[in-house]
This record gives sequence, C-alpha cells and structure tokens, in this order.
Amino acid sequence: MLTRFVDTIRQRFSRPLQYYQDICVRCGACIDACHFYVVSGDPAHIPAYRMTLAKKVMQGRVSDGNRLHNWYREAWGQESRTAAELERAMWECTGCRRCAVFCPFALDTALLVSAGRYSLLQEGIGPQMIAEIGNAEVSKGEIIEMIQEFYVDQTKELEARLQKEFAPDLRIPVEKEGARVLYVPLVGEHAIVPLAKVFHAAQEDWTLSLFTATNHSFFVGDMDKARQAAHWIVQEARRLGVKAIAYPECGHATRTLLSFFESWFGDEIAGIERISVVQLVASYLAEGRIRVKSGTFDVPLTYHDPCNLGRNSGIFEEPRALLRAVATDFRELTPNRELNWCCGGGGGLIAAPEMKEIRMKAGRPKAEQIRQTGAQWVVTTCENCKTQLGDLNEHYGLGIEIKGLVDLVAEALAL
Amino acid sequence: MRTVAFLFYYITPYIAVIVFLGGIGYQLSRWRQKRPVPANLSLFPRPQGRLGRLMDTLVDMFTLKGLFRVNRPLWVGGFIMHLGLLLLLLGHVRAFTDYYFLWDLLQWGEEQQHQFSAVAGSIAGLLFMFPLFYLLARRFSGAVKWLSSPEDYLVLGLLIAIAITGNHMRFVLDPDTHEIRQFLQGLFRFRWQPAPVSAGISFVYHFAFVQLLMVYFPFSKLMHTIGSVFSKMVAKS
Ligand code: SF4
Ligand code: SF4
Repeated sequence: MLTRFVDTIRQRFSRPLQYYQDICVRCGACIDACHFYVVSGDPAHIPAYRMTLAKKVMQGRVSDGNRLHNWYREAWGQESRTAAELERAMWECTGCRRCAVFCPFALDTALLVSAGRYSLLQEGIGPQMIAEIGNAEVSKGEIIEMIQEFYVDQTKELEARLQKEFAPDLRIPVEKEGARVLYVPLVGEHAIVPLAKVFHAAQEDWTLSLFTATNHSFFVGDMDKARQAAHWIVQEARRLGVKAIAYPECGHATRTLLSFFESWFGDEIAGIERISVVQLVASYLAEGRIRVKSGTFDVPLTYHDPCNLGRNSGIFEEPRALLRAVATDFRELTPNRELNWCCGGGGGLIAAPEMKEIRMKAGRPKAEQIRQTGAQWVVTTCENCKTQLGDLNEHYGLGIEIKGLVDLVAEALAL
Repeated sequence: MRTVAFLFYYITPYIAVIVFLGGIGYQLSRWRQKRPVPANLSLFPRPQGRLGRLMDTLVDMFTLKGLFRVNRPLWVGGFIMHLGLLLLLLGHVRAFTDYYFLWDLLQWGEEQQHQFSAVAGSIAGLLFMFPLFYLLARRFSGAVKWLSSPEDYLVLGLLIAIAITGNHMRFVLDPDTHEIRQFLQGLFRFRWQPAPVSAGISFVYHFAFVQLLMVYFPFSKLMHTIGSVFSKMVAKS
C-alpha cells in the first residue's frame, strides 16, 4: 500500500527536505502556528507531525517482529489509518509557511506538503480538480493562437467601454512589441480594469498578456508542469522584448514569479525585471507618477497580508503605504505581517469544492482577528484570499466588504 | 572483568569518537547527495547580504530570538538548557587542555582557578539539568504528546542521565578533579593513565552515557546542531 507514494516522494526528497526530516526536534513550537490544528485539534494537522507521518510511511512497514526496533520506528500496524491521516496532513494545509516562522530552525512544512501532494496524486488520493485546472494552464499555450483573436476582440470591447467611462485616450494594448511592462492578469476583467486605469494615469508603456498568472500545478506540487505553464509567459515576454513582467494580485503566482522563476528559467529570464503590481503601483505613487485623492475612503478598514505576498515574498510595506494614502482609518490586524494568520483558503483549496467545509473551519482565527479590529472593509492583494474572506464573511456573519488594493487606488486616482 | 574495564576505559572512548565524527561526516554527505531544491525558500523579512545572513543566523542560534517571540515558556526552557550545555562544554575543555591565556590575564593561581570552576560548573550543571526535566514533562502534555517519538525520550533520557551523574559527582562526591583530568588527558594524548577512582560509580555511568550519546548523536535529531545552520541560511537566502 502507498508504494507509489513512497517511490515518488523518495525521488522528490530534495536536500532541505532530507535535513528537515533529520533535524526536527519535535519541540512543538510550530503547533500554535497552524490554523488547521488550532481549530481541529487533529494531530495530522500539527506541522511537524506531517513530516513524522511522511517519515513513517517512507520507512515502510517493519515486519521483523523485533519489538524494540518497531517501537523505535513507531511502525504502525493499521496502514489504512496512516493513509487517512497522511491524506489530511498533505491536503489540509494552505502552504502558508506560518509554521516556518514559528520554527526555531525555519523548517518549511509547505515544502514537504508540495512533494507529498504530488506523490499522493500518483495514488489517486486528493482533489483531482486542482490538478486538472493545472493541466489546462499548461496546454493553453498550445492553443493560444486559436483563442487569441477572440481574446483581442474582447479586450477591444473592454477598452472602448473604459474610454467612455474613464478616459478617452485609455489603451489596453495586447501583444505590443517593445512595451516596457508585460502585465499578466487573472481570468476576468476585474483583474484588468483597475490596472488599466492606473497604468493610464502613470503613463506606463504596458501590454496585456494572453495568459493568466495562476498556476494550479504549483498547488499540487507538480513542479514540471508548474514550470511549463509559467514558461509560456516567459516566452511571451521575450518575444515582445519587454523589460519587466508584472503579476496581478494573486498570492501563489506572485511567489512563483519572485521565488521560482530564477531557478526555473535561469538565463532565459535574465535582464527581465519581475515585480508584483502591488510593488509597481506603490512605486508609481512614491515616484509621483500617479496622484491619489487622500482620504478618499473614510470607512474603518484593515489590511490582510496574504501569506504569499507577505512572509513568502516580503511585500509588507508597499500595500500599507498605498492604503495610508487613500484611507483615513487604517487599522492593523493583530498579529500582522509575517505573523499574520492565514485566511485558510490558500494552497489551491479554493478550487476544490470538497474542501469548502474545512476551509471555513480553518478560517476561524482569521474571522476572529477581523472582528477584533472593528473594520468594515478588509483590503487584500490575493485572489484566493478575497474569495476565502468573502466566504468567511458569509459563514461567520462578519458584515464586512472585501476590497482589492489596486481597486481602491484606481478609484482614488486624481487625474 | 579486567578486560571489560580495560575496553571501557581505553578502547570504546576512541570508538565513540570515531563513530561520532564519522557519523556526522556520513550524514553530511547523505545530505549533499540529495539535489538542492530548485527554488528560493526565503522567509521574510530577511537580512540583506551574505554577512547579514550569517550574522542573523548566529544571533538566532545564540539567542533563539524567534522562539522568544512566539513561545516564551519553551524559550526559557530551551535557552537555559542550551546555555548550561554551552558552559559545561567550555568547562569540560579543561579536561584536555586549559585556558592558560585567561588565567594569565586574570593572574589567577591554581586555587582560584579551582574555586572558579567549582562555582561556574555547579551553576552550569543546574542550568542544564532543571530545564531538561521541564522539557521532559512537556512531552507528556497536550499536543506535544502526539508529536513526541521514541527518539525524543531517548535523547532526553540520555541527557538527563548525563546531567544527574555529572551533578552527583559535583555536588555529592566532590572527587579529585586532578585525577580525572589526568585520565582524560592521557586518553587525549595516547599516554594512558589509571582510571579515576575518587568519583566512584558515578564517573563510570557518566562516562558511559557520554559515549553512548556520541555514538547516537549523528543518527538522531541532535544533528540539528549542524543542520539548523543550513536550514536557517536557506530561509534567509
Ligand atoms: S518548530 Fe520546527 S523543530 Fe520544532 S517541532 Fe516544529 S518543525 Fe520541528
Ligand atoms: S504551511 Fe500553514 S497550513 Fe501548512 S502546516 Fe504550516 S501553518 Fe499549517
């Protein structure tokens, strides 16, 4: 049983994973870090125990009848129980890496979970849905020419609408050669409209990507496919000769851009700047390329640091600078920044309907944290977080509104 | 019996040292054989530059400041235990050589050196031992119970045994330290001296547990001594 899992994860065991497994002292400092464990009390949710489980399964079943040896290796007779626990340990995790901040050795359970998910999928264990969306992202590059025309038409329509509503000379360039910035959006115009406005105000020389930034293969730990999906974007950037790739308000995609692109693409990406739109828009404001009407929003609002933008990418101060510029009553969550609670919806869980229940449970610390601030708006910079916070709002009756940061900036623009 | 005693005092210590060093080498090469992860595993905020990373890692190691922030009781236990351990290791260095420069600097004679190490050794011994009991008690409570594995009890058991036998010698038996130093220096320099008798059976146990610990060290979580430097550096890269 679980032989495929074992074979695959053995192959996937990289250097850090090996020493993580060997040096974890099981001190338990990570226990309080995990929102899953905090709400469930299920041992399978203890960050370090996830590694222990993987170790138990990887070292195989001891059948030599040597009781001392078995005791030392904690061999389990009931393998079905192990499998069920392992499934929870690997899938009921948002990859938020809060546990790594708590761990005195910075052991990164999310790295294990990534390898573990991929290995479990080889057994058919886990939400297939996420992997399938990932596959679609990979194959999109092959059919891009077929959908390009349709996409350009749609963008033209959107452009015409925005010219009427916002500014007559606003442009949404697609496939523009020699543009400075290639902006890679998300599915849906909500990820294009505010940026088109801000780019227009900043007089940025930009072009819209034919692709989207999301990368579901990354969620299931399929790194080959994650790289392939992202490769289309790198190729597009090189074809157009852009100077920078800008990623939208999307946590995991931002992490791939800022922490994985360099090792995935090496020389291919050299000389092309990689930046989150949050950083980009903040730099416009700091450099005076855009101006905002200060105090545009006087509702009490707070900022939720998405794990992948905050502790996993280091984008802490830019969103705060933008918020302080447009809002009068900005309140911090406690704790915030690298110690912020995960919303409970990361790691691709949003894409799997069967995970909704556990998502709502795991979001409880977040909901309580929000309630304490008394904020009416929760601003954030990640698509996953937005969806999850919206669901939490309903589930816990928080009576809040969820806002995108760039949306607020676009609304407050002083032209 | 004489053969056993001979092996125990003059042969197994060398084996323990060889296994200790060889085992660490083996584990390091085992880690090296694995491929590095093709990604940047940074955790933010992170220090700037190579020197900043190194300094930050060192400060982390000597203060456990991350733990201080998130788990104060565990920090108290962990920090004091490691502090005691560090002092004890520094003290045991005197079994092989001495801090000549320090004594020269302070202009301390034999008597003062002896008094100082008696006091410092006593304090360090207690600083080391009491937190170990706390850390053991923790293992039986709450979620840490789930997490604990046999290895954890084994390591704690060994450390507690070493601490108790050491403190027993220090506080109860008050042995002839000169005799013990002669013996250990003899081992170190391959000029064997008679085994100490003034510390009685406590020395035998202490010496045995230390040898066991050295043999077990490379194959246990005690490798965090070395591995944590790597994992911390990776998280700050
Ligand atoms: S905090 Fe780190 S060392 Fe301690 S149990 Fe958790 S993963 Fe292991
Ligand atoms: S990464 Fe987040 S969800 Fe996963 S084990 Fe760590 S704290 Fe829990």
